[in-house]
Amino acid sequence: MSVAVEYAPVLLTHPGRTTPVSLDEYQAEDGYAGWRKAVTKMTPDQVVEEVKASGLRGRGGAGFPTGNKWGFIPKAPGAKYVAVNADESEPGTFKDRELMEVEPHRVLEGVALCCYAIGAETAFIYIRGEYVEAANRLEAAIGEAEAANILGQGCLGTQVNVRILVFRGAGAYICGEETALLESLEGRRPMPRSRPPFPAVEGLYRRPTVINNVETLANVPAIIDRGSGWYNAIGVPPRNTGPKIFCLSGRVNRPGNYELPLGSVTIRELIDGYGQGVIGGKAVKGVLTAGVSAPILSGDKLDTKLDYDSIQAAGSMLGSASLIVLDEDTCIVRAATVMEEFFRHESCGKCTPCREGTSWLFKVMSRIEQGRGVPADLDLLLSLSGEISGKVLCALGDFATSPVVATVKQYRDEYQRHIDEGACPFDPW
Amino acid sequence: MSLSEQTRAAILKLVATYPERRTALLPALKLAQADAGYLSREAIAEAADLVGVPHSAALELAEFYTMLHTEPGPSTRVVVCAQLPCALRGAEDLIRDLHAGLRPAIEKGAIEVERTSECFGACHRAPMARIGDAYRENLDQERRRALIQELAQV
Repeated sequence: MSVAVEYAPVLLTHPGRTTPVSLDEYQAEDGYAGWRKAVTKMTPDQVVEEVKASGLRGRGGAGFPTGNKWGFIPKAPGAKYVAVNADESEPGTFKDRELMEVEPHRVLEGVALCCYAIGAETAFIYIRGEYVEAANRLEAAIGEAEAANILGQGCLGTQVNVRILVFRGAGAYICGEETALLESLEGRRPMPRSRPPFPAVEGLYRRPTVINNVETLANVPAIIDRGSGWYNAIGVPPRNTGPKIFCLSGRVNRPGNYELPLGSVTIRELIDGYGQGVIGGKAVKGVLTAGVSAPILSGDKLDTKLDYDSIQAAGSMLGSASLIVLDEDTCIVRAATVMEEFFRHESCGKCTPCREGTSWLFKVMSRIEQGRGVPADLDLLLSLSGEISGKVLCALGDFATSPVVATVKQYRDEYQRHIDEGACPFDPW
Repeated sequence: MSLSEQTRAAILKLVATYPERRTALLPALKLAQADAGYLSREAIAEAADLVGVPHSAALELAEFYTMLHTEPGPSTRVVVCAQLPCALRGAEDLIRDLHAGLRPAIEKGAIEVERTSECFGACHRAPMARIGDAYRENLDQERRRALIQELAQV
């Protein structure tokens, strides 16, 4: 149906590849050119300004301007840290995995540039424990780069020192929440901290810390090497610039990572032009754009452009750009119950509304799906959600209500059918 | 002592690696677990002593993370993601097939097939299973038959 956008990838420059790009290969394609330029020709402030001018926004989900985040780090002397959020665990998200497995040096170059920009000498890549392969490849790449004097002590013959450590998690979605990640790095239970103080002031070991997502940092080498002007021409300036990796999964013929400029395609064009359409030619009942953590968009929103602002205007969030496609045969109540099961499992237990609330939401959802719901359950779900949202320390509580609230509001008739008929009207999985 | 000399040395090396020694606690527990396949109370206490934190601090972590086990388990853990992207591509069917095909090994206690709502970042290669540290992906009919055959020999 739609024609693919003409575009040369910046992040995943070897589409389809599964083996890691070696240091030699990476350098043959101008790898570490941005790093060389920064440490030999630019001041740290110039690096921060270039990233600010690029318009790069955080790719982990929140979309916060990266250069501004770096600019919050105090200039005072003393230890500062970079913590890379590689705890990719949002359902439907598998972009950082491919970046780390295939393009480990691009990630490392971005980490090094962030260190230089904020004056940090130590960076931790906090990677989820299940990503064993990606962690091994990152460590191998660090070894290559240190042996070539690109990273380590006196990088490239300068006075700059950068030490990158891979830190493996052990299975906990909450570690993707930035302050929980810091707690985990410090050897404590990964439960979110209350803010302020923010990590830019008091982060890892109570020192100023920048926490950035893997994909965010993977954008930085090209910004420094080719300039913010070049970067600005990709996407929709000023608020939606640069490339984005879209993770496409669910009921499509060809799921996968597709790197495209922000705002260059609609949801429909991504599904049809890249995912080769819905399995069996079925209609789309709904699409999740930020994994399971933001409201589902119904099938009439498929002509929305894929960028931060357009998706927000349509009533959801771009988040990590993890698109999960639900077709007309998918039971919305069951899908939402499975999503809620995730949050019940992953709630860290620190805040009572989330710890107890996610469990109750899952129980009520399950009984409706199993045909044991009562008419009052729908309002109960909404009121329960209202007791969690905004009343907890981190965003997980808000995320946990969106599968329920968005589906009850948009697909109320499907819930009603479960209750009226005393059974799920769809085929079992 | 329940930890091997090798593990104790590796933990002490980790302690010296990080800016603050407590950062070594989680990696230390993972090393300790690799020794016996699970974390006994003694192993947790020894790891805590080596890092220099109260035993309770180590126990708090051991009981929190899903990849840490405080009870002995089967020699092979098969964990199937049943979160939405995998569920939309046949994860429940895969779980049924694994249970049916591996029944003798499961009953012997050699294999455990666990359904989880956690996502492992393999949604584009669904359905999938984690077996030990390895990912087995794109488990269509043919691949799951081969997998069941392979595991049945455990």
